[in-house]
Amino acid sequence: MTFLIRTIDFTASGREIVRDREVEQSSLTIGRASESDIHLPDLAVEQQHATLTSNDDGTILAEAVGTLGFTHDGKTTTSTSFDPAKGAELGFGGYRLAFSRDPDAPASITISKTAEHGEDVDDVKGFALGSALPSKRVMAWIGLGVILFAFLIVPIYTHLNRDPAEPDYDRTGHTMMDASWSTGALSLAHHGLEDNCEACHVKPFESVRDETCLTCHEAIGDHAEIDRQLTGRGPMSAGDEFQWKVAGMFGKEGPGSCTTCHTEHEGAGRMEPTAQQFCSECHDGMDERLTDTKLENAADFGDAHPQFKAIYHPQLGSEETARISLADKPQEQHGLKFPHDMHMDKSGGVARMARNIGAKQGYGNSLVCADCHTPTSDKEGFLPVNMEEDCESCHSLVYDRVGTTFRSLRHGDVDQMRADLRAMDRAPRRSAAPVGRKRPGEYARGGLYYQNFGRPARSYIAINRALASDGVCGECHIPTTNNGKADVVPVHLRDNYLLNGWFDHKEHEQEKCSTCHKAETSKTSEDLLLPGIAICRDCHLGQDAKEAEVPSSCAMCHSYHPKGATLPGEEKSPTKDTVALMSRKPE
Amino acid sequence: MASSAKNSGSANFERAEKRRDTDHESFLSHKRMRWLKVSVALCLIVIVSYFLVDVEPRHNGGTWYGYTLGTIGALLIVWLSLLGIRKRNMSPGRWSLKAWTSAHVYLGLALIVIGTMHTGFQLGWNVHTLAWALMMLVVISGIYGISAYATLPRSLSNNAREMTRGQMVEALAAIDRQLETAAQPLDRGEADAVIAALGQDVFKAGFLARLTGTYPRCATARAQNSFPAGSINKAEEKVSALLGRRKAQLGQIRRHMRYRALLEVWLFIHVPATIALIAALAAHIISVFYYW
Repeated sequence: MTFLIRTIDFTASGREIVRDREVEQSSLTIGRASESDIHLPDLAVEQQHATLTSNDDGTILAEAVGTLGFTHDGKTTTSTSFDPAKGAELGFGGYRLAFSRDPDAPASITISKTAEHGEDVDDVKGFALGSALPSKRVMAWIGLGVILFAFLIVPIYTHLNRDPAEPDYDRTGHTMMDASWSTGALSLAHHGLEDNCEACHVKPFESVRDETCLTCHEAIGDHAEIDRQLTGRGPMSAGDEFQWKVAGMFGKEGPGSCTTCHTEHEGAGRMEPTAQQFCSECHDGMDERLTDTKLENAADFGDAHPQFKAIYHPQLGSEETARISLADKPQEQHGLKFPHDMHMDKSGGVARMARNIGAKQGYGNSLVCADCHTPTSDKEGFLPVNMEEDCESCHSLVYDRVGTTFRSLRHGDVDQMRADLRAMDRAPRRSAAPVGRKRPGEYARGGLYYQNFGRPARSYIAINRALASDGVCGECHIPTTNNGKADVVPVHLRDNYLLNGWFDHKEHEQEKCSTCHKAETSKTSEDLLLPGIAICRDCHLGQDAKEAEVPSSCAMCHSYHPKGATLPGEEKSPTKDTVALMSRKPE
Repeated sequence: MASSAKNSGSANFERAEKRRDTDHESFLSHKRMRWLKVSVALCLIVIVSYFLVDVEPRHNGGTWYGYTLGTIGALLIVWLSLLGIRKRNMSPGRWSLKAWTSAHVYLGLALIVIGTMHTGFQLGWNVHTLAWALMMLVVISGIYGISAYATLPRSLSNNAREMTRGQMVEALAAIDRQLETAAQPLDRGEADAVIAALGQDVFKAGFLARLTGTYPRCATARAQNSFPAGSINKAEEKVSALLGRRKAQLGQIRRHMRYRALLEVWLFIHVPATIALIAALAAHIISVFYYW
């Protein structure tokens, strides 16, 4: 077995000196010892460092003699075998032994000395991810700059340099990028201000002021006079006082300002109703602080709310109203006779009549509420009961027939009725109403016919009868005498019995009328068929009542701000409720 | 005298032992997980109070509770980011860097709860949610970082097989030198393939290539394909074998780079995102009071 050993040295001037020698041995020794076949004068190499043995299959086995290894293609090892035809490089200290073998030639070993080469940072820094990415510092500065510019510098600069204008619902704000400051969508009512932040946020670092709200909400009145509000509220708790102190340090306006109750940016949709606690802060035990108040204490609908008080007409024919607790079973004197039980009876005369004329009028087997009570278009309440539409199909005011046409008395005008009835006899004809039985032969051939030119006595009787308690008017109205003439007591029907709360029938559609209004058993229309608070409490309890079907805060039925522009202390316009059968829609 | 010497000797030993113990204690289990306990307690307090405290109309950053949590969270963020400065200055004892790091990790985790409760789960496309999102990004990248530090070094050392990075580079260079010599008899086309393989810098690898360890444009693999087995002469066979070894060596280096990348990538998110978070936090706080 032959090895071709080629040694490459360099002269001082850098010129290569190549020495070739052939060694006819099957194994070679490598070491610092001068008798080694391959002599490597390097202190990092052992005296006898390794041996190379040629195997029969042409591969070469390299083994370390001692414990100190060598490198094979860069990897440290103490024993390795390789095919020189495929190449290999062994490293001993500062020497490299490159193996190769051309076909039909001995294995050649090229020995060269390398410059001493330690592990260089430059060589290995490519392993780090940092060599493939921009530096963290650069990325950090870019991120810092972009965010501060876009979300701080631009909005502040444009806000400071805008031309200040009155808040305007239809205008777009001039501040740029401040949409990014919005903590949430505005409520439905303020939706138009979504792109006009500076409409409310007028001055930097100043909380939204009441005066800003009032530029649009100019008609909002105070809940009560301020000094009464303060008396009613009483002293704050220590926690509240501390909170307000802190809020004051940050420039909040203080308790009672708009933003105390009305928080914005809570998401689209209706504004969050004000929480119960804002009301109960004052109204819980208020009578102790505000001793002259007529209001009873209220803190929670479920367990601390007085019985409803209805406004009603206590005296017959009088416009005077009074408020009374429903617990006192008020009897209203509105001037009409209307027993609900009789009208709603499933088997009485009314039901029979309903059946008889049902097909034409849309009645069923008996009358139901909806036959007389028509909801308003928004279904929130009901239109006033109207004689012509709701009663007259049974309570006919027809008094005469001319050919196929019926003449009716005009409802609501006693003088007109009087005139109509008086004129009736001028052209006597058969009354539309059956007057007694026909007698045989009355109008028979040979009978006597005459025109009555005498005093219209029958009409007076009719008028008197009409206004008598068993007459056509007296059926529903209470007869009286006015300036010596027969008349009816004026009717005072209210369309709203609750002054300070509201009720939406639409929201209660799933309930039957009779759940709340005990009409079927009411024998007289003097009964005020309003449900008491107990019935409401079947479903509605206080805001925090877990067992309630409908937890209800004060704002569900009450408004904090007085409606309209009337401020407390100003005179209120009288409620229009006296014209019973005319339009009673409030303006 | 002898006994006192013995006493002082054992005292020294104990002290040394104690020091040794702390030296080998992970920052995660520092002082029997003191900061984990602090952090869990903090989270519990925040969560329980979140549900007990009744603020109107609902929880968000704008209630007294929200402002309290926000203040705590902002201070925490500032303090946590100071680790970047603190870590450059190691010191032992109560305020050792290890204690600091332990607190950094666990209080940073608590920030998820504090920050999220501060929002009251009102999130949107605004600078406030940007701050929250950056905070979450920083925390999550930190969690990833810890898990990477716990698992990847083993893979890294398994892959290195007792080679240093320098040796890997050197091994590749050794193969390259042989390739250079062995490729001398080749004709133009094949020589070009070898040149392309030799000319491709192993470290010129992009971010994704490093993370995934896939190199579809590896010139060594391509060069290998131009020496199909079976129809090649001896010289070509040798080059082909050397290319195979080059590829194996490249594989090791690339795996190493991949583990390094997986190990280091979180810092490239954690650190810049922290600085961006501080900017977003400043914008968040200033904007809230600007549009007060």
